[in-house]
Amino acid sequence: MAIQPDPIAPFSGFGLGMRRPHYDDFLAGDVPVDFVEVISENYMIEGGRQLRILEQVRRDLPVIIHGVSMSIGSAGGLDEDYLAKLKQLEQRIDPLWVSDHLCWTRTSAHNSHDLLPMPLTREALQVVCDNIDHAQSTLGRAMLFENPSSYLTFPEDEMSECDFLSEMARRTGCYLLLDVNNIYVSSQNHGFSAEEYLARLPLDRVRQIHLAGHDPATPEREIIIDTHDRKVIEPVWALYARALEMLPQLPAVMIERDEQIPPLGELLTELDRAREIAERAMEPA
Amino acid sequence: MSARPRTLAERQKAFLASVLDERAPAPEGWGNRQAAGMTVYRGNYRSALMGALADTYERTALYLGPEVFARASINHAIAHPPGGWTIDEVGAGFDQTCAAMFGENPEVAELAWLEWAMLELATAPDCTPFTAQDFASASAEFGEEDWAGLRLGFQPRLSVRLVAHDLEAIWRALPERREQTTLAEPRACITSREGERPTFTLFEADHAPAITAMQEGASYGELIGVLLDDNSDPGPDDIQNAAMRAGAMLGAWLGEGLITAINP
Repeated sequence: MAIQPDPIAPFSGFGLGMRRPHYDDFLAGDVPVDFVEVISENYMIEGGRQLRILEQVRRDLPVIIHGVSMSIGSAGGLDEDYLAKLKQLEQRIDPLWVSDHLCWTRTSAHNSHDLLPMPLTREALQVVCDNIDHAQSTLGRAMLFENPSSYLTFPEDEMSECDFLSEMARRTGCYLLLDVNNIYVSSQNHGFSAEEYLARLPLDRVRQIHLAGHDPATPEREIIIDTHDRKVIEPVWALYARALEMLPQLPAVMIERDEQIPPLGELLTELDRAREIAERAMEPA
Repeated sequence: MSARPRTLAERQKAFLASVLDERAPAPEGWGNRQAAGMTVYRGNYRSALMGALADTYERTALYLGPEVFARASINHAIAHPPGGWTIDEVGAGFDQTCAAMFGENPEVAELAWLEWAMLELATAPDCTPFTAQDFASASAEFGEEDWAGLRLGFQPRLSVRLVAHDLEAIWRALPERREQTTLAEPRACITSREGERPTFTLFEADHAPAITAMQEGASYGELIGVLLDDNSDPGPDDIQNAAMRAGAMLGAWLGEGLITAINP
């Protein structure tokens, strides 16, 4: 069994994903956020403007590096070249933490560049835990893993996703990135209670919350798709408020927008709402 | 319907085969709910690759128009499903797809090659080019042997190829499409970085074999041999002219900031 990594201290605050259309705003240095999150793979490069901007922003703000390609659930193990480049970025930026998703993206032959669903089996849990041990030991720090949106479940599933996440965190010492929109999307797609899902998680392991919009179901398509291309909807705000009531402390909360990226002001308005809800939810009774 | 996969590795292989190809048989035990979900994953895969190609080949897409570009993108993604962890890799070799699809318009493949070369440069290691003055200082004490053995380091990921079309005119005119862009004779298109900004310049054609040879480790003395390539029995004047040509090239490369090291 791998040695459990050092704990990640809680960090409370409100932030945004830093995306290209807003580089100039962040470089100006007066965006009212407590942290930014960037997509790791966009900065696992050797030089150029993007990397220089990230280093410049890092001088003023804590940065979280959030990956989409670690493929922590791959039966074939992790990509060593990927891990080496992630480690270089981690050393360069000294992020608040490093995160990725509970999913797989590739086999040895091909990469889907999508967050594919894990069969929720005991074998898959062991593979994920082994891979997390390897990633955390390479990075020399604990990581966060995000609950994904999913569009199908497997007939061979042996446990629920929340039980899978709980056991994964217990065995590896990793932390959780709670994507409230993803809980909502999957609960609607698979017909489970989002609140019960929250209640079964080890909430003391949550260090961050993602909030995002999604593409709703249509008469032709019953499935809700996680698209990050629009505003957070009311039921997701309500679930976020409920999650905050259940959490032991306020984590790092952020709005994710990856498509149809609006002017920064629109995202800051959404972030203000996240702040207001948190103030109400975390008030002593 | 295929046999029920038994291990995680088998399940993932079957799942990804189904994402990549809708004709792949569904695993045993899958019903309508899994089929509906798989449709979403297939759609996500395709739109991610199309999006990555559109981001990388913005100018080629403008040149071709959205429908033709989408057809080229789909052909490319089907023929070259990505294997690496960075989605940008899906764009590798798109110029060859364009060459095969648009044989009547070879400028399309040249434009696609140029965009890929510029993307590669955008994330290349940062470097400080030698100025003409730096070079003059560094070579001030050079004797004849030093010159003959001189090797040059170029900007990381600098690319060069011969092109038959005026890419500068095509690039500037977009989204308008110019009809007459064929060059009177091929030129060497060299991509490089000015600070953080990828750029390109068209030089005389003989710059292409010269830079390629020197990137591969040829010395300045050997460069003169490269420039005499089609002359099996050069006379003193030929050698003198080739030496002068090499000097002019060196001056041009320094002027464009392409050289970052000597005798690396």
